[in-house]
Amino acid sequence: MQLNAGTSIRGALALATCTLLGTSLQDSRADASADDWRVDGGVLYYSEQDRVTVVEPVFFLRKKTGEDRYFNARLIFDTMSGASANGATATNTAQTFTSPSGTTTYTTPAGETPLYKFSDERVALALEWERPFGRERQMVYGINASVESDYMSVGLSTMLLQNFNDKLTTLTTGLSANYDSVSPDGGVPVPMQLLSTVVAPPPADEEEGEDEGGESKSTLDAIIGVTQVLTRRALTQFNYSIGFSSGYLNDPYKVISVVDGSTGATVDYRFESRPDSRLRQSLYWKYVYHLPRDVVHFAYRYYWDDWGITAHTADLHYRFELFGRSYLQPHLRYSAQTAADFYHHSLVNTAPVPAHASADYRLGDLATTTYGLKLGLPVGKSSEFSLRVESMKQTGDSYPADAIGVQRNFDLFPTINATIAQITYTGRF
Amino acid sequence: MTLLRRQGYWEGEFTAMASPCAVLAEVDTAAEARRLLDIARGEAQRIEARFSRYRQDNIVHRINTSAGQPVEVDDETALLLDYADRCHALSEGRFDITSGVLRRVWRFDGSDRLPEPAAIAALLPLIGWDKVLWQRPRLTLPAGMEIDFGGIGKEYAVDRSALLLQAETRSSFLINYGGDLFASGARHNGRGWQVGLDDPSVTGQGSVGGLEIKRGGVATSGDARRFLLRSGIRYGHILDPRTGWPVPDAPRSVTVVAATCLEAGMLSTFAMLMGKQAETFLAGQHVQHHVIR
Repeated sequence: MQLNAGTSIRGALALATCTLLGTSLQDSRADASADDWRVDGGVLYYSEQDRVTVVEPVFFLRKKTGEDRYFNARLIFDTMSGASANGATATNTAQTFTSPSGTTTYTTPAGETPLYKFSDERVALALEWERPFGRERQMVYGINASVESDYMSVGLSTMLLQNFNDKLTTLTTGLSANYDSVSPDGGVPVPMQLLSTVVAPPPADEEEGEDEGGESKSTLDAIIGVTQVLTRRALTQFNYSIGFSSGYLNDPYKVISVVDGSTGATVDYRFESRPDSRLRQSLYWKYVYHLPRDVVHFAYRYYWDDWGITAHTADLHYRFELFGRSYLQPHLRYSAQTAADFYHHSLVNTAPVPAHASADYRLGDLATTTYGLKLGLPVGKSSEFSLRVESMKQTGDSYPADAIGVQRNFDLFPTINATIAQITYTGRF
Repeated sequence: MTLLRRQGYWEGEFTAMASPCAVLAEVDTAAEARRLLDIARGEAQRIEARFSRYRQDNIVHRINTSAGQPVEVDDETALLLDYADRCHALSEGRFDITSGVLRRVWRFDGSDRLPEPAAIAALLPLIGWDKVLWQRPRLTLPAGMEIDFGGIGKEYAVDRSALLLQAETRSSFLINYGGDLFASGARHNGRGWQVGLDDPSVTGQGSVGGLEIKRGGVATSGDARRFLLRSGIRYGHILDPRTGWPVPDAPRSVTVVAATCLEAGMLSTFAMLMGKQAETFLAGQHVQHHVIR
């Protein structure tokens, strides 16, 4: 090592100093060397059998901008294509559907679950700033925006982390607000309107074609949680979150079949109608245990809302540490929810028209099972390459007891099988 | 030892290593401030007692009076010797813990009394870490040579005290042992500690600016009151152990900010030893620094 002017000996000196003081280099970072970068790049692939496919490149950047100061940026670019269930059930005849404006139609063959085809792209950007806020407190501020051809969302968030007991306990409180607007292709449907009564506008109105209308919703979420280091090996977290949405909560592309009360044959459809507010609450508990080599994560979530949905979710990860910082992590997740009060697989034509009804399978009795495996491989000193593959199955009541006539011949709640694959490269500099 | 309530923190003072020492801590009570001060003072006094060359009851004295016989040293002394060995190599022999014997002829009292070149030359055989046999844990120092941890000791005491205090408190503190400092982290208000840069023309009496330090060490080399002046040439007190003469064109003072006080101290000392290339050397280290010429 030469001490010619300009030669850097700082690293060698830092190493010698750490040896003398019996500390590690990580412990002794000065303000001067706060230039830590983390960059993630990856692609998520999600594909439902015969239905939706999403390809999602994700970029994440984290830059240390000072002591306890970070800037995070996340950019997502989604390409979604395929078909999604429109809510109507399969029946013994071909089914034709009309958009709310009456301008487009599509037909599903007899015996098949009606799906509407779509393709869209989404760009989402989220920025976050983390900074110390007084003693043992860290503040996080965020903004986010997401744009699709028929959808736009903007939001603000803030979170306060307060440490106690020498950082063994952390209290987290957070608040976020989002504003979403939707301008569906084919216009905004009138809730509960019969599709047979939708009339195409006269061609002369084309100038006003732009005015297909839009709707919006506002969401406010709050979270309060405690993270506690229990022992050198165990950590637990407990969160309560509450969220309130109001405004347009319908899915403008969803309809519900109207069936004949005695034959069960589909005679018409109505656009769905959901309440204009939703209060969601959940309790979340997580437990992490470090075995001598491996790590176990267990989490349980209980969710309930004022639409009548309650859900239990259990999630288990086990991380096997392999040779040289590589790892293999199996994942098992099970979730079961009860249906919303206004969920119906179909409506009977002679019964009174309810104020709210939806046949969206995501609001029905639903069980979701996910199996997955993740492999992590170290790249260089501090970077990582990972591959995750998961298989998800969503099942409901395919042949419900209240099915009428021909409805009994068809699967009213087809099982959805999805495959999820993700590759990610995490680089640290 | 005194303890004073300041605006938002406690400041405790004591004297050790022939320097005024202070510990500033953002704690709530006087009792807590005193507890931390006692820990820091204990460590400073322990290091002074163990490694001062002015005492006759410690390892340094045993080594310096070993008359060429091997001396087995304890782990802490071995770590310091390893460190000195590394610094000697990194500085290409400019930093040398055996150079203290030059004090026998050099007295920087502001006068024009330069030593006789022959007297300096006569001492050179007694200087040079490369003449020492260091085989951990045994050190064999040729007769007549001396070692002196003076160039490391105060910075070492600052970092050691900081480690002890960090194990005791999460509160932010600043240790200042005679101008060598360590700050442990941001204060309640999110800001760092304000540190004045000593004015080398009136050392200890005034400052020529300041810097804010949240976490890390700060050290200054140079004392402009210690010099000799002869025939218009100023001889600063930084001696090059390879020649026995003051380093030509050394800055009057160099202050460095680094991860630890030791690193800051070594980098500022090395910079002084680089003479007129001090600034170039520091620019290559990518550390915050201030040079006064």
